[in-house]
Formats: sequence, structure tokens, C-alpha cells
Amino acid sequence: MVKIRLKRMGAHKKPFYRVVVADIRAPRDGKFIEEIGYYNPLTDPVDINIDEEAAKKWLGNGAQPTETVKKLFKKTGIL
Amino acid sequence: MLIYTDMVQKVKSMKIDDITQASLLYDFYGQLLSKRQSQVMELYHEENLSLSEIASEFNISRQGVHDALKNAEKALSEYERKLGLVEKFRKSSDAVSKIDRIIDSTIDVLLYENTENTVKAVEDLRKVKDIIDKLEE
Repeated sequence: MVKIRLKRMGAHKKPFYRVVVADIRAPRDGKFIEEIGYYNPLTDPVDINIDEEAAKKWLGNGAQPTETVKKLFKKTGIL
Repeated sequence: MLIYTDMVQKVKSMKIDDITQASLLYDFYGQLLSKRQSQVMELYHEENLSLSEIASEFNISRQGVHDALKNAEKALSEYERKLGLVEKFRKSSDAVSKIDRIIDSTIDVLLYENTENTVKAVEDLRKVKDIIDKLEE
């Protein structure tokens, strides 16, 4: 199964997240299939940038977004 | 008492979403957690894994992961309630970026006037901006 997760990047005390598509069996080796966007919570207003076409393609293929990613998709109108 | 702590935490974190708050709390106080709590916090909040995924990663029960996570979150909230470092950090970051913006618009005005005095003032303001940049690194 393929999941769409948020992955934290960014320096100490400067969190920044990537939205990545990853296989559920390889969650920890840092490898992911595709990066489809990012979320920067520290800008004002927050900066959410998601490739809508890629997101819809993966959702259509049965990729499962985590709850957190679902929230971001809702905010950006993808879901 | 615990309910009260949770409420304080909620009010404080209203401006910022829960994931970011969790990341910041972990950055500031993560080293005070036990090894297991810290691993669970990292996988749940930074790698966005589910409780059952973490459970199979460590070969422990989902309930065990849940308890470790709740205890970790409780400990972090408690540290923040007592020390308030995240709150303080956010306030000073906000203040610094406001100052930075004011300096930018002042520089624009001074450049427009372009006299000997304003050139010197712009130089000084740019030095202040360098200090700010170093602070944010």
C-alpha cells in the first residue's frame, strides 16, 4: 500500500514539512516515491503548496493520505 | 490539574497548528524524554506514521505506543508550562521579523532621499539586518 505522509524537514526550531508519497513497507529509510508538495507553517500566512494534479492522481490510485495530510488537502481544496 | 495544563496548552497553541507545536516542543525539550518516548514522538509527529505502524516497527502493542506518546506529550506540555521556551521563542521571532520589515521600509525611504547622512544611516541599518540574519540562522 502507498501512503501520502508529511515528512519533517527544516532545521532545529524551524520546522518545515514535505508532502511525500511513500510505500508503507519502507517508512523509515527516508526513501519516498514522489514529493508532491510542501508546507511551511512559520511564514505569515502559512505557505502550503501542493501539486494538485499529482495529489489527485495518487488518491485515484488508492494512495492513503494520513489525517494530517487530509487536513492540508482540505485547506487547499484538493479534498 | 492535568486538565488545566492541557487547556493552557491549547490556548497557547491556537495561533499555530498542532503538528508545528509538537515539532517545536520536541526541538526544545525532546532530549529530556526517555529513549522510547523520544522515538515514538519522532515517528508519530516528524515522520507522520500511525500508531499501528510504529507498533510494528518496535514490536510492541499499539496501546504501548499510545501510552508512550501520551506520556511524552504530557511531559512536553509540562516542561512548556513551567519554562515557556517555545512561547518565548515564538514571541521573539515575531518581534524580530517585525523589526526587520520596519528596517526595510526605512531603508527604502532613506535611499530615496540619498544625502550623505542617509547613506551612512542605510549602512548602519544594513549592519543591523546582518545581525538579525545571523540570529535567524
